[in-house]
Amino acid sequence: MSTFLQFVVEGLTIGSFYALVALGYTMVYGIIRLINFAHGDLFMVGAFVGWTALGTLAAARLPLALALVVAFAASMLATGALGVAIARVAYQPLLRAPRLSILITALGISLLLENGVLIAYGAGFRTYPHLLTQTGFDVLQVHITFAQVGIVAASFALMLGLYLFVHHTFIGTAMRALAIDQDAARLMGIDVERLIQLTFFIGSALAAVAGVMEGLFYTQINFFMGFVLGLRAFTAAVLGGIGNIPGAMVGGFLIGLLEAFGAGYVSSQWTDVFVFGVLIAVLVVKPTGLFGERVVERM
Amino acid sequence: MNVQNNGTPDAPRLRGTLHATLGAVILALAALAPGLAHSDTIKIGVPVPLSGSSAAAGTDILNGAKLAAAKINAAGGVLGKQIELVPEDDACDAQTAVQAAQKLVDAGVVAVAGGYCSSAALPELSAFHRAGIPYVLDASTNPKLTEMGYNTVFRTIGRDDQQGPFAASFMKNALRARTAAVIDDNTTYSKGLAQNTVDALKKMGVDVVYAESITPGQMDYSPTLTKVASLKPDVIYYTGYFSEAGMLVKEARQLGLKMTIMGGDATNDPTLMKTAGPAADGMIITTSPLAQFLSGAHDYVDQYTKTYGQGPGPYSVYEYDAVGVTAKAIADAKSTKPAAIAAALHKINSYPGLTGTIGFDPKGDRSRAVYITIIVRGDEFEPYQRQDASGKWEMMK
Repeated sequence: MSTFLQFVVEGLTIGSFYALVALGYTMVYGIIRLINFAHGDLFMVGAFVGWTALGTLAAARLPLALALVVAFAASMLATGALGVAIARVAYQPLLRAPRLSILITALGISLLLENGVLIAYGAGFRTYPHLLTQTGFDVLQVHITFAQVGIVAASFALMLGLYLFVHHTFIGTAMRALAIDQDAARLMGIDVERLIQLTFFIGSALAAVAGVMEGLFYTQINFFMGFVLGLRAFTAAVLGGIGNIPGAMVGGFLIGLLEAFGAGYVSSQWTDVFVFGVLIAVLVVKPTGLFGERVVERM
Repeated sequence: MNVQNNGTPDAPRLRGTLHATLGAVILALAALAPGLAHSDTIKIGVPVPLSGSSAAAGTDILNGAKLAAAKINAAGGVLGKQIELVPEDDACDAQTAVQAAQKLVDAGVVAVAGGYCSSAALPELSAFHRAGIPYVLDASTNPKLTEMGYNTVFRTIGRDDQQGPFAASFMKNALRARTAAVIDDNTTYSKGLAQNTVDALKKMGVDVVYAESITPGQMDYSPTLTKVASLKPDVIYYTGYFSEAGMLVKEARQLGLKMTIMGGDATNDPTLMKTAGPAADGMIITTSPLAQFLSGAHDYVDQYTKTYGQGPGPYSVYEYDAVGVTAKAIADAKSTKPAAIAAALHKINSYPGLTGTIGFDPKGDRSRAVYITIIVRGDEFEPYQRQDASGKWEMMK
């Protein structure tokens, strides 16, 4: 029993990262029907910006808490801005082009980001300073670290905030309108271009948070780290019903739990088989995912 | 006559074109051949990963080759010619490796000294073997490489089926372990080492309670470790690379696992300590001796550090010897014909390398391979224990 609960704790921790990144996939898909394959790499860029910021701030001898806040903020702003720039330069001109053009552009952007970071930072691994406490507490013989609690809580808070933003603010309503019908939204006086950029900003900033948390928690980052995580987060978004925000959260945690149970009860060698088996099964059996039935109203 | 008329009217013309093309190719080849034969340098290929996650190790190895070539050239070269290294990026990837090997063959290398990932070295080896070019491996330890029945493959490092029993003996006799868990990362090298270790452990009567692979590139291995913890092994041996090893040891200590954690020779990299921090302390690694632990290599370490501004890494000294022994074979053969060089390499039995006296057995493996254990203390590797001539374990230093 305690082993089972330990797997649950681990699955939720892993799932937090998938869920945060899955939100970006799902928001962008909801609004412009694009599977943004570069999104996993924005997560990676976020981790590197955070690493650079922390290094600079540590050199400036800032208090730790302040340095962390500034690093998160800098990473969210920079990665968000990068997301907006990508949307403006690469995606928006292709919105009326065939679907395939924009999809291939997304793959190209992904390669561009990976290799850009490879040139800028080199191929080796970079390590975050060991700032998080390794200590924790035991409940029912299950060991939980404070860092794990923080990560799960932070991602829950962010997801809740995003949900409230989309469903209970004026801009959020405009976003949902855009998701239903772009042309009609434009006729209603909604600034479609700005809203698309805002969506990219939010999605990228969330990925940046995940990136910096990943760096702080696992300490090791490199230019390729967005690949595996991006694919699994994408699976999470599809599982939850791509285009649906609560779906992305649930999908993320489910994939995390699946990974933990798979590794724990079957074999860690089969993690990829389980995760991508789910992707195939969902696409074959229920392409709309768990929460995707409301086709008219997305997000 | 009749028969000819019945043939397709275009046939003669077609044959003519074919002849012309063939003629052009032969002419081109003929023009190329003297260029090869009379070139002023002797080209030695160095296929290593220069991009991707193993780029750092590949760069170290290439630097070792450069130092060796510089030393040989400063002393007048070989057969009156200078050695020219031709580096090629194999990205630690089988597909890229095939292209890299082909590029080196096309560049006219007479021998090859290099290699890092076994999964890339294997296809390279086949390509070089087809071209008849000898390949001296410096860091690829998979047994298969010298078990292909090729007479053109050699290596200056030990092989995993020597490391596996060594690690098993250490666990059984030095650590007095009764149960062990062996984890690999599903790559050719890692699986090979894990398999050999498991076989040796079973033979020695150590109970292997867990032997499975993890997926590299993932960040969180705690579920795997939770599973391993529930089986209560006395020791965990991870046979993959340093980046995942850092994660594993860190997450294991986070989960409160207290047993000894060991790694294979690919975990031998300071990134391990940077990733794991204090959690890495006490981790034991089986490895071919690092340059700094080789009594004959102190000058090399100094020179490398002075030239490149950082330590020589785990394998560059083996590459230094690989280039050295290749040059020696060229000199012995008094020829730059690949076949003659391969034959000369087979005859070498006491080349004084930095990593010890080098000789090759009929398969091309080193006749005397050495392994040691090292241990992490703070953020440094320190020599730990080795086997003396009678097989007893003793502390080093």
